[in-house]
Amino acid sequence: MKRLRMVVLFAITAVFLLAWAFPILWSVLNSFKTDRDALAYPPKLLFEPTLDAYRDVLFGSGSIIPNLVSSMIISVGTTIVTMALAIPAAYALARLRFYGKKFTGFYMLATQMLPPVGIIIPYYMVLRNIGWIDTYQGIILIYLSFSLPFAIWLLVSYFEDIPYEMEEAAYLDGASRMRTLWRIIIPQVRGGIAVTVVFVFLNAWNEFLFAVVLSGNTVRPVTIAMFNFVSVEQTLWAKLAAVSVLAMLPVVILGIVAQKHIVKGLTVGAVKGGGRR
Amino acid sequence: MLAGENTMTAGPAEIASSDFGRVLVQRERRFATLLLAPAFFALLLTTTFPLLFLVYTSVYRINLSMPFMNGFVGLENYKVLLADDRFWHSLIVSLVYTISTVLLQIVIGLALALFVMNMKRGQGWFRIIAILPVVLSPAVVGMIWRTFMLAPEFGIVDYLAITAGLGSKNWLGDPSLAMVSVIVIHTWQWTPFAFMVLLASLASLPEDIYEAARIDRASAWQRFRRITLPLLRPAIVMVIIMRTMVALTAFAAIFTVTGGGPGTATEILNLYAYRKSFTELSIGYGSALAVALLIVTIIISAILFAIRRSK
Amino acid sequence: MNARGQVIFKDIWKKHGEFVALKDVSFEINPGEFFALLGPSGSGKSTTLRILAGLDAPTSGRVLIDGNDVTGVDAADRDVAMVFQSYALYPHMTVAENISFPLEMAKVPKSEIAAAVFDAARKVKIEHLLDRRPGQLSGGQQQRCALARAIVRKARLFLLDEPLSNLDAKLRLETRVELKKLQRSLDVTAVYVTHDQEEAMTLADRMAVFMAGEIQQIGTPAEVFAKPNSIDIAGFIGNPPMNLVNAKYSDGDIILGGQRFKTAVQITGSRDVIAGIRPSAIRIGADGLKSRVDLVEHLGDTAVLDLDIGGALMRVRVGDENVPKEGDTVSISARPQDFHLFDPETRKRLV
Repeated sequence: MKRLRMVVLFAITAVFLLAWAFPILWSVLNSFKTDRDALAYPPKLLFEPTLDAYRDVLFGSGSIIPNLVSSMIISVGTTIVTMALAIPAAYALARLRFYGKKFTGFYMLATQMLPPVGIIIPYYMVLRNIGWIDTYQGIILIYLSFSLPFAIWLLVSYFEDIPYEMEEAAYLDGASRMRTLWRIIIPQVRGGIAVTVVFVFLNAWNEFLFAVVLSGNTVRPVTIAMFNFVSVEQTLWAKLAAVSVLAMLPVVILGIVAQKHIVKGLTVGAVKGGGRR
Repeated sequence: MLAGENTMTAGPAEIASSDFGRVLVQRERRFATLLLAPAFFALLLTTTFPLLFLVYTSVYRINLSMPFMNGFVGLENYKVLLADDRFWHSLIVSLVYTISTVLLQIVIGLALALFVMNMKRGQGWFRIIAILPVVLSPAVVGMIWRTFMLAPEFGIVDYLAITAGLGSKNWLGDPSLAMVSVIVIHTWQWTPFAFMVLLASLASLPEDIYEAARIDRASAWQRFRRITLPLLRPAIVMVIIMRTMVALTAFAAIFTVTGGGPGTATEILNLYAYRKSFTELSIGYGSALAVALLIVTIIISAILFAIRRSK
Repeated sequence: MNARGQVIFKDIWKKHGEFVALKDVSFEINPGEFFALLGPSGSGKSTTLRILAGLDAPTSGRVLIDGNDVTGVDAADRDVAMVFQSYALYPHMTVAENISFPLEMAKVPKSEIAAAVFDAARKVKIEHLLDRRPGQLSGGQQQRCALARAIVRKARLFLLDEPLSNLDAKLRLETRVELKKLQRSLDVTAVYVTHDQEEAMTLADRMAVFMAGEIQQIGTPAEVFAKPNSIDIAGFIGNPPMNLVNAKYSDGDIILGGQRFKTAVQITGSRDVIAGIRPSAIRIGADGLKSRVDLVEHLGDTAVLDLDIGGALMRVRVGDENVPKEGDTVSISARPQDFHLFDPETRKRLV
């Protein structure tokens, strides 16, 4: 009886783990197959692994390296600009007293209600007029619409943990407000800044709608380039798998690195916003 | 009062003490403004300005393929919208998609969280595996499902269906199967999110209230109904709110898997607004659709926040 | 001789909207003095310190340091150092970096900083910990690090906000002694905020006692103990605090529980008063007021008795010999000069 229970529990566990791991594992497996093995019926679990698909998508004609670079430029650029704007803003919101603070905080949350499609339509019209379609500055600017409020709210929670006395001690030690922020406060939220960087990068890497509308020959992230490998006539199975794996790799690594903070990163704003509304 | 007035007119020795208080407050405000202004303007530029411009374009006819027809049309777009069967259809698809995915995420996520919470070993595996889907790009997830999972014959799901004697199905070509597929894909990707949040709040519940309940002779089911569920309620409502907002504006996975098709079978309102604007290049009408989506979002979130506040 | 660190607080008010945090606070601190701001929490003593530091601004009134009006001067420019209750050590810096931070801000040449830091650390005996981070220090060591950071600047004023309250009882007593020695050897003016009257009594040269935003009394600890200005101070200072009972005064005597006692107070006529007697001033003897012993608390070398005198409680501190038992009846009396009389209306001391 007890044994049967154990077996059932084990089976349930295995099924669920498999259900979530399988699609990813299967892509990884396929990326090491030849196109023939990938197309085999019934699907092959055992095969002779090869790096052909990777070699082709990376160094063959139509290499996706430029696309990986493009994704990287977008994500790194978004992260740098976001952090440069979000760190001071988050500090002000977490710490300073000023008229209109509540409104500013609410405003930053409320902007998140806007459906992205409602932002991209007018934004596309404007960028078209100033010739910024298919430019990095165009796409990074629009990415601020979602990365900035997110980063600010996540950072606020870290700034709020620092005791006021720390700042007052610094003022008495003769430091100006700016120096206190720079030398005393920011070093203490390094951890929070690192977590925020991870999530901002991740969100920028994964964004799709804005990228679809604004991409072109210059700005062509890997999530868009992926479509080159599927068409109505044929799917390049192994290569598509290799591209998918390459697109997943950075975010999976970051996700696992930031494992402990992921729940906080995913729910920030909601907790805050609910509390204040 | 003008900024800098105090420091300009009086040296520190002469100013009244009450003014020093004002100087401190003012200085703090000025510093706050300095720190906040860049982010604030960036948000004005990337969210508020587009919103206003969106409302503006929604009362124009703007068709990029026929620019000579462009012009102010007043509420014409909205009148057309209310009589547009495709709009009402997309609204229904949106609601079905949102309600079913959110419900599935909560039910499966909660069940899994409760199950894993009681596991003595192997919790770590669940925690690691759960991270993978939520950090992936929905576009990549959609692509993997479209090909390796659901493609007729080659996809694993189809292979399993054939093996089980159900025969090969056109998972993405049949209107109702396509709807089921996009719901399953969304649920697959985001249930781990509900799972992780609920597991975290389950883990934060104090152990001793369960011991007390046990001493009070509450059965496992009673403990769940009378203790766990009420204590988890805030977390569950929060997950529902967050997931609803995301589901209403889901784009990448559906776009990648079905593109809204077959026909308009999986065309949620969000996708309709996109297709109208960027495939059919009818920006004005697309804007009206986006405004409609915003209104729907506001109504639904108002309802959800009312639920959250109640009790 | 140190002439630095004279403080004058002149008619300071502090209001937060309707709430009055400080009500016309005035006092003077002499150079080199150890001055305590004593009072219960919320009495305004911390606000006073913050105004002196320049962290808060008064609503009205003036603050002078060494004769200069600093009311409108920034905290950074007042040349005052402060030790916070939480120590406020910078957790990402080593002890040495913490101590050198104020020097660095003051643009002291690098070549001089190292020596000054070591010197300050040596004075508080943490020179072997300079490479550690605050997180690796014990509570007492953190407290010393905060002290070192304050003394390294050789500021003219040394502000301490309940610096001992986060230490455990034994360490607190030891540190108290060292703090006093340190202040003497540095010959620096110290302003010390505490809610612990014992700390203030032992450390301070003079003290100001705060109640509800007002200074009720300023004086040496001995003066305040011997002649509390008001009922509130009488009930706050001393452990256990002074007994305060309703009594009648008439012609140099007071009538307490039907018994007449001589007092040193001379006022005309007869009136209602509140009589105060310190627990240690009460004598148990052959005659006097008869009362029953309700409870005996043994404290080792002394004992505290709870006496019932006609329904009112009176506490008596006695030596550890011949301690009465619970239920015994004893006779109590006091010397005339040990009676303190207060006006029940104004709550002030009657001279």
